[in-house]
Amino acid sequence: MSIFEYNGSALVAMVGKNCFAIASDRRLGVQLQTIATDFKRISKIHDKLFIGLSGLATDAQTLYQRLVFRHKLYQLREERDMKPETFASLVSAILYEKRFGPYFTQPVIAGLGDDDKPFICTMDAIGAKELAKDFVVAGTASESLYGACEAMFKPDMEAEELFETISQALLSSVDRDCLSGWGGHVYVVTPTEVKERILKGRMD
Amino acid sequence: MECVFGLVGNDFAIVVADTSAVHSILVHKSNEDKIMFLDSHKLIAASGEPGDRVQFTEYIQKNVALYQFRNGIPLTTSAAANFTRGELATALRKNPYSVNILLAGYDKETGPSLYYIDYLATLHKLEKGAFGYGSYFSLSMMDRHYHSGMSVEEAIDLVDKCINEIRSRLVVAPPNFIIKIVDKDGAREYAWRQSVADTPAPSA
Amino acid sequence: MGDSQYSFSLTTFSPSGKLVQIEHALTAVGSGQTSLGIKAANGVVIATEKKLPSILVDEASVQKIQLLTPNIGVVYSGMGPDFRVLVRKSRKQAEQYHRLYKEPIPVTQLVREVAAVMQEFTQSGGVRPFGVSLLVAGFDDNGPQLYQVDPSGSYFSWKASAMGKNVSNAKTFLEKRYTDDMELDDAVHTAILTLKEGFEGQISAKNIEIGIIGEDKKFRVLTPAEIDDYLGEVE
Repeated sequence: MSIFEYNGSALVAMVGKNCFAIASDRRLGVQLQTIATDFKRISKIHDKLFIGLSGLATDAQTLYQRLVFRHKLYQLREERDMKPETFASLVSAILYEKRFGPYFTQPVIAGLGDDDKPFICTMDAIGAKELAKDFVVAGTASESLYGACEAMFKPDMEAEELFETISQALLSSVDRDCLSGWGGHVYVVTPTEVKERILKGRMD
Repeated sequence: MECVFGLVGNDFAIVVADTSAVHSILVHKSNEDKIMFLDSHKLIAASGEPGDRVQFTEYIQKNVALYQFRNGIPLTTSAAANFTRGELATALRKNPYSVNILLAGYDKETGPSLYYIDYLATLHKLEKGAFGYGSYFSLSMMDRHYHSGMSVEEAIDLVDKCINEIRSRLVVAPPNFIIKIVDKDGAREYAWRQSVADTPAPSA
Repeated sequence: MGDSQYSFSLTTFSPSGKLVQIEHALTAVGSGQTSLGIKAANGVVIATEKKLPSILVDEASVQKIQLLTPNIGVVYSGMGPDFRVLVRKSRKQAEQYHRLYKEPIPVTQLVREVAAVMQEFTQSGGVRPFGVSLLVAGFDDNGPQLYQVDPSGSYFSWKASAMGKNVSNAKTFLEKRYTDDMELDDAVHTAILTLKEGFEGQISAKNIEIGIIGEDKKFRVLTPAEIDDYLGEVE
């Protein structure tokens, strides 16, 4: 078993028209045993920038704490929020710093950049960035997420349709994965507001 | 084999641990207390490598006390849990401690709480949690019978159900358990559940 | 450091509360060759005298204006060798920023970094303050910017500033000539006229240096031929 699959996770981000959505499952497990069903893998960096960390839960927590620390320092030093591209480079640099003893986590970054252009990207555990203009997936349910997103995604969706699409993609994917599930957590971000919703799915 | 579990009730939290000190096939001791008092309103129940368990919990206990000496106020349960996680996480990539922790506490502002911290330093706030072989039975029992806002009597009844299940279904079930409770009046020992008395050394 | 009890900083407070080492450093700057900078509406210009110790020195081998990044240039008054140390450290800092964020370092950030280095050298053991003041010219998302950094590590953003010999004359001249809506070309003219004011001898393309940055965000040092053209225009 891979260390990336120890706790189980499902993460996905999608681009819409001047908006994006990022969603995750809520399970925290230890192999096949479920510890909690209210775990959070997605965090807000600022109003228009979110990061989800799939993989080993402890490393997701540690990495998240380091990223928040670095972003706060940046805000104080430069008196501005980080652009999504800049933040992605920072995450990549922090991950590669631990090239020979990596954080066992695959991040998904989603944000709105200058003039509210959506940006999504993922990277591997050592910081190799992979940019996409439609959707990105990560976690133990990534295979099924690829399939679901490939089938359901349409370009330039409005916020509401985007929410519906990402939620259906997430819920149908985690049903085919033993290690993730127990409902979902969805953020839909537009230039003016952030909508956070908790999904109920198959609770078994 | 090791069984540590706990739950949060109405204005109190309970943690239970077996009291066996085992090395391979030998039981050295059946009255080993694995639940420590962190301060007046905190309990830390630990399982894992005996040396690490004693060293690490004592280290946390002394640091929590040091904080209280220096600042004149105690750490909140959440702060103590995050501190513990931080220490485990730093140690994880240097010389890891093999200890799994359930941290229960009572704060005036937030009431009772229970934190799950495994040896990888995964931190999560729970209503009910368990470690070790006993977890397969106690988690199932708690899933079936736990509800929020339990009274002490109900909770103890549930704890006894868990212990019974462990004793009747686990091949390597430990004979004795210790139950500790924390509420607004502080942390204290509540009861023992012994099926084997510790035989006193015969006098010469 | 710390290997002898005398390894404390040489920049120690005098009983009157002054740091005389810093004042000496400022004296070194004040007796250095004149440099000035002007922030225009659409760019920045920095300029300096380039008086060489002998006519036998090949003037093309001396470059007083340096690039820190493609969009940030710097010039100094004071000690040339100290300047090179700061340029090396600043370039490294800019490169590290770029490596981390894949984005060019903002002018304010680089100025603060170099100012931090200069401050450190007023408080560390076994070192002396830098005998230079810097004029940093850059253009980024926040528009054109001009900063002056002093040996103490203090720094300010200027619309126009001068330093070195003739500071006060040059500053008075700039105060008279400066307008907010000045274009880059006008600023170059004003820079030349300001230099000319206190210039000993005949000004030429070989004994001054000019660096400009406009809206293309590319800092460049003017060639002697280009300076000659500007000199012709101000005649």
